[in-house]
Amino acid sequence: MKILRRTLIASVALAAFATAPFAASAEGLIAIITPSHDNPFFKAEAVGAEARAKEMGYETLVLVHDDDANKQSELFDTAIARGAKAIILDNAGADATVGAVKRAKDAGIPSFLIDREITESGIAVSQIVSNNYQGAQLGAEEFVKLMGEKGKYAELVGKESDTNAGIRSSGYHDVIDQYPDLEMVAQQSANWSQTEAYSKMETILQANPEIKGVISGNDTMAMGAWAALEAAGRTDVIVVGFDGSNDVRDSIKAGGIKATVLQPAYRQAQLAVEQADQYLKTGKTGQDEKQLMDCVLINADNAGKLETFALAE
Amino acid sequence: MSRKMMTALCLLALVPLAACKIVKNPDPEQPAAEGAPPTAASGSDEARMSARAAEIWEPQVVPYIAAKATDIATLRAALVDGPDAAASYGFRPAAEGSPWNFIAKGEGKVVAEDRQSRAAKLDLDTDGDGKGDVTVQLGPVMKGTALRDSLNFLVFTDYRDQIEFAKLARALNDHAHAGLKLPEGDLTGRSVAFSGPFTIRTKGEAILLTPVTLEVR
Repeated sequence: MKILRRTLIASVALAAFATAPFAASAEGLIAIITPSHDNPFFKAEAVGAEARAKEMGYETLVLVHDDDANKQSELFDTAIARGAKAIILDNAGADATVGAVKRAKDAGIPSFLIDREITESGIAVSQIVSNNYQGAQLGAEEFVKLMGEKGKYAELVGKESDTNAGIRSSGYHDVIDQYPDLEMVAQQSANWSQTEAYSKMETILQANPEIKGVISGNDTMAMGAWAALEAAGRTDVIVVGFDGSNDVRDSIKAGGIKATVLQPAYRQAQLAVEQADQYLKTGKTGQDEKQLMDCVLINADNAGKLETFALAE
Repeated sequence: MSRKMMTALCLLALVPLAACKIVKNPDPEQPAAEGAPPTAASGSDEARMSARAAEIWEPQVVPYIAAKATDIATLRAALVDGPDAAASYGFRPAAEGSPWNFIAKGEGKVVAEDRQSRAAKLDLDTDGDGKGDVTVQLGPVMKGTALRDSLNFLVFTDYRDQIEFAKLARALNDHAHAGLKLPEGDLTGRSVAFSGPFTIRTKGEAILLTPVTLEVR
């Protein structure tokens, strides 16, 4: 009897706070929307979120938007139509996503963002992102050390519409530009893409054969650059990436790429699910909407402890 | 972008900050002149965050640091077992994944100095063993975001994105640097009173302090 009453009160409270259509005893559905799983980073997010959601008793709906804001918008409609209780999202554009998140909010479905921010606050419940500025400074400090504080280098920048591309570049330069003997001879966007980075690197090498290092805005571009350098017999060039993927880990262990910066993508996705669960049950997360998570430098010293965007203790 | 251009941009970014300090109380009746310093609501991210840092420095930052500072000896003792053990003195957002920041005050003797580097610093001995135990950053380049992150009235959610929030940290560091007034010449052996924040991520990490007040005795 007591239990029943508590459940009833909880149901009424939940309906009032979350305006959920049904406060059924089953935990309900969580939609997990990310960019394409071709990039292992996004796959790790989806896997992390899905595993945590299932542990906590939710059903999951895993979808990919392929960095297409229109497709993302359709996926939001799907999630709304399917009666999702919450949406975990790595979004397809800081500006373009605001409308979709707002539509879900109006339908009574809270969104919990990971990895990438949107340009407005007060629409999503949580925005949990890696501290890209701190991480980029870590990567840059290691790069400077590896370069011996001098020499010519190139920078590969990510997709311009993504805030993370700009913040990482800015973090790199706040460190590297302090060293007058480090000279950037090329700075190009390879749009986070491995194949694009390969061809950009080929061109950069032709124009600047004296290049000594490459700092890259993410790991997939670092992998593309490294492949081009290997093909040109230039394995002397120092490459530093960002993300902490298993591919780059293996390259570091084999003496290829020198370092990367781990974003705790797996934990971040799990944390978003935990906050969603708490919000659905209590009407709040107990946290600020926007939250930063520190990144960790990965080099030959600790690469062995890295697995699927998480570092073993 | 060439290094020269970068340097030029960096220098440009410092201009409105300096201008803000001179024109402290503009006449509200007077229409804003062309090229007037940007306010916290207009201009580029850098210019706006620079103006914001200037706006809050005297009325908020300085009194906050003064009120929240803990004696360096107390902090050092609390930090022996790592940053979590000193949590009661620390500042950070509630969420996991952010490191602890501490606000220290104290006095020490200069045991080493580097005032040539862009990242100039003083090494202070604050416990009388003759060895440096607190590194005070003098800038112009100051590492980290300890200053921004120890001021708990500055909340990430209130800023558009990480870029803007990073510029705010940078602007606060620039402001700390601009406020330093040190005598010329070798300071080794001199006594220095300081207050300011630092970040500790791991047990045993060296203290790298961003000074809010610094006075050579």
